[in-house]
Amino acid sequence: MNFEFSEEQYEFLEQVDRFLEENYDPEVMDPSRENMSQLVDTPKRRAFMKKIGQRGWLGMTWPKKYGGSEGEGVYEYLLNERLAGAGCPQIGKGVGIIGKTLIRRGSEKLRQEFLPKILENDIEFAVGYSEPQAGSDAAAMALKAVRDGDGWRLNGQKIFTTSAHFAEWYWFGARTDPDAPKHKGITLFLMPMNAPGLTIQAMATIGEREITNQVFFDDAWVSDEYRVGELNQGFQYISEALDLERFTMFTFAPIQGRVDLLCEYVASEQRDGRPLRQDPVIRQRIAQLVTQTEVARVLGLRFVAKSIKGGAPPTNEASQYKLYATTHSVRVANASMDIGGPATQLRVGMEDAPMNGRADTSYRCTVVETIGGGSSEIQKNIIARRKLGLPKNF
Amino acid sequence: MDLDFTEEQQMLREMVRGMCAEYAPLDVVRAMEDDPTGCPAEFWKQLGELDLLGLTIPEEYGGSGQTALEGAIVYAELGRSLAPSPHFVSSVMSAGALVLAGSDEQKRAWLPKIVSGDAILTPAWLEPKGGYGPAGVQLRAVAEGAEYRLTGTKQHVLFARAATRLLVLVRTGDGDEDIALLLVDPQSPGVELTQQLSLASDTQYKVSFDDVRVPATERVGAEGSGWATWDEVMYDGIIMLAAQAMGGAERALEITVQYTKDREQFGKPLGAFQAIAHYLADASTDVDGGMTLVWEAAWARSEGKSVARLAPMAKLFACQTYRDMTAMCVQVWGGVGFTLEYDIQLFFRRAKQLQLSWWDTRHLEELIASDVLDRAEA
Repeated sequence: MNFEFSEEQYEFLEQVDRFLEENYDPEVMDPSRENMSQLVDTPKRRAFMKKIGQRGWLGMTWPKKYGGSEGEGVYEYLLNERLAGAGCPQIGKGVGIIGKTLIRRGSEKLRQEFLPKILENDIEFAVGYSEPQAGSDAAAMALKAVRDGDGWRLNGQKIFTTSAHFAEWYWFGARTDPDAPKHKGITLFLMPMNAPGLTIQAMATIGEREITNQVFFDDAWVSDEYRVGELNQGFQYISEALDLERFTMFTFAPIQGRVDLLCEYVASEQRDGRPLRQDPVIRQRIAQLVTQTEVARVLGLRFVAKSIKGGAPPTNEASQYKLYATTHSVRVANASMDIGGPATQLRVGMEDAPMNGRADTSYRCTVVETIGGGSSEIQKNIIARRKLGLPKNF
Repeated sequence: MDLDFTEEQQMLREMVRGMCAEYAPLDVVRAMEDDPTGCPAEFWKQLGELDLLGLTIPEEYGGSGQTALEGAIVYAELGRSLAPSPHFVSSVMSAGALVLAGSDEQKRAWLPKIVSGDAILTPAWLEPKGGYGPAGVQLRAVAEGAEYRLTGTKQHVLFARAATRLLVLVRTGDGDEDIALLLVDPQSPGVELTQQLSLASDTQYKVSFDDVRVPATERVGAEGSGWATWDEVMYDGIIMLAAQAMGGAERALEITVQYTKDREQFGKPLGAFQAIAHYLADASTDVDGGMTLVWEAAWARSEGKSVARLAPMAKLFACQTYRDMTAMCVQVWGGVGFTLEYDIQLFFRRAKQLQLSWWDTRHLEELIASDVLDRAEA
């Protein structure tokens, strides 16, 4: 048993830290964007990710054949945690969900077309699974795909496509067989985000500066060459990728960062002339928070350690981590407001906002962590069935 | 990063699990409830024969010199089985204090006997109106020539009836930490034992001291060093108890999950209701997370790293999880969970008692908060 990373792994972390220092830019590294900081949504953020690509840090686990370095997954974890901790854009979507699915399931044509661009960070994707009537019940997606020539005619609607307003390509599921059982009639496709028939409509969120989107398909058309993998196997690919990548979407480092920020605040601030840290109620709350934070961290390590060992993918560990860490993330945001008091209602940029306004941003943004990427309830269903062996309950 | 056990550790775990199943199954656990001695003789003998009583005691005194990690592995199994024994008070706490502060003579006199099981030592610490801090120790030891004279009362003294010696925390002066550790023969004139019945039905005594004379040579460690010794040993102790709590939690969850597969209501198994399945999914996450935190604390201790924060975090979280989870389990078992016949109540009662004992929630939270918030001052 060993809870430390290896010397090589620590050396890698040092390289990443040096890289972050050398490329410091507050517009690229903005922890106050909370979980949304993972998006590569501005020219500066794209340039930053391109540099990451030039370091060979995209596709570290991919096969050499496709430009990867066949390294261990733990390096992707370490890189992503460091990036997330600093509020940088992250590597989950292109390298993980899309790149790895193409490597596992895609045609050679799609691999040749997209994988090099992912490695160079010359492309941004948007992911479209959710629809108005298909949220947690993702397999209920109804976007209609009908055979038309050597392609598919698309009509319907997606919702919560967060990257639609800046991405070049759309990765989405559509119903190709309306008569099959719901999870056996879905196919994955890729199409340009600016294709005729696609309309993007922004949705404002309580994340204030952050938006998400609806995407409408009106007689849009996609060539069958841009079908990903087998016909009607899309839902299997979606679940497989989510199981493997859930982890990269909900990093731990930002939680630790906010807990540290809160502890520093309590250790140094006064209220009514008395140090905050002398308040026994606050001391009790801090003790609970730092303990639960460590539990979230080690639940993440269980996932990492199991992936290092190889064998069956650590899907139960990923669900347990996601469930606990995101619930805890919300708890930390709430506690930061209770402990920081009335001034924490002030937003980022307000002169008197404690903790740089992070209490406000995190209170807003953490809400979606227990919802997106498979809600807490979905994680509990997964754990109940796969880990505990309980009967299907829905 | 490697969270697996070595082959030896895996074997140790299996050996202890098998031995507990054979010598301390739940009917034996039940038979020992409220018993004046409280430890099944055969089980105690086995602990000695398998070198488990000396597991973490240095080899020069007959022990196996294993680390806190092996200790935690054994404690997780003792927790799973609910096997009652003075292992903790004798082999962990009393032996720990002797190893840390005892004279050569004291070590040679007691450690080999603790290892063989021929002697049982148990600490006498808490007092009726005292807390977990040094101020809680008010039992007076007045030095008179070459001896101390002790007057006062201790409670929650585990296995006192079976003990060869009590390791008594006494107050020798008015300074905060004017505290000494004394080895006292419970047969000494003026010592009186009264069994006290508890939530967990374990074997504990109130011990009153009425002008008890103890030779000064029975003091463990230098004058004024008693509290520091005790405090240090406690950090090792709570890691073991955290492991014990998580072991108990793990087994309580297992039997409850099985029950929800077997028991049907409204024509389907309980586990097919999300209201129930989601409780269990949360519990399984807390148990796996808590267990890993315990291994981290034990690993850190065995690597010689500081456990000033990790050990209290481990006990706090483990005992909280054990308590909350067993309360949930009783709810899932329903009416039969309230009856003595079903086993879940054995875990439910022990969980709360363990949370209150050997540093409670409030004390542990304060230790953690102090480590996090008061560093600038130090």
